[in-house]
Amino acid sequence: MRGILMDTVVRHEQARPGYPPGDLAIWIFILAELLVFAIFFAAYAFARSGQAELFNHYQATLNRDTALFNTLALLTSSYFVVRGVVAAREGNNALCARWLWAAVAMGGLFLVIKASEYADHFAAGVSLSSNTFYMFYLSLTFFHFMHVILGMVILAAVAVKAGRDGYSPDDHTGVETGASYWHMVDMVWLILFPLVYVMR
Amino acid sequence: MSTKTNIIQPNRQLIRPCTVVYGVLVVLTLVTWSIGRAGLGGLWVSLLVLGFALFKAQLVGDWFMGLRDIRGIWRWVVVIWLAVPGSLITLAFAFSHGG
Repeated sequence: MRGILMDTVVRHEQARPGYPPGDLAIWIFILAELLVFAIFFAAYAFARSGQAELFNHYQATLNRDTALFNTLALLTSSYFVVRGVVAAREGNNALCARWLWAAVAMGGLFLVIKASEYADHFAAGVSLSSNTFYMFYLSLTFFHFMHVILGMVILAAVAVKAGRDGYSPDDHTGVETGASYWHMVDMVWLILFPLVYVMR
Repeated sequence: MSTKTNIIQPNRQLIRPCTVVYGVLVVLTLVTWSIGRAGLGGLWVSLLVLGFALFKAQLVGDWFMGLRDIRGIWRWVVVIWLAVPGSLITLAFAFSHGG
């Protein structure tokens, strides 16, 4: 028993490498994406500091309720992805696929809500050239919107492979790679939501 | 204790803390939304909301991405990323509020 416990401890320590979960290449990509979003966020904040009245005025026209639902959709999808990763590590591919498809569905909900928000703005005549606030709002949120689509494509590809029993407890790097990217998309929104919709 | 149990047990133990983290993320999101809906503003309220956001992002990095178990520089990737825009946003809001 002691030997088995020691073996478990050793396995756990071995599972704590100097590299994050998933393929290292996706982390280089994630770093690049995070850098771009960081520059975007700083640019928004400094542009706002020179036109605080304008930003506060037009920020009040945004729908915070739909932003709340979108945040909850992404958080829930991220939690589903965690459950999918755990299922893959256990070798339960069918369960992994179900969690990942549920996460994709929550991503789809995000897109539908955000698209309806854009439709309302465009119907009201809002465009990139309306003013500095809307230029940042539309470009920042649409840039993130595109990342949600890419994340959904990646998760769907991983879910299809899991559905075909393509992963095992020893080989599920693909699941962790897709999961890492999706969590990055969620993480960026967690900063974007308060910055654009709430802080004034 | 079978090999399969050795594999499953540590992973199962991950579900409970991640569920708690998910609950914390939802609660902080609702608090943030309530602040926005109440129309509260000003430097300190903004910094409080930003603090919630940075904490939430750190939770996602640590627990959902699994970075808390990583040794070396990758452990600090999210921390460093959050510190940079977090500091710049704080600076910009301090400027706009005449700080």
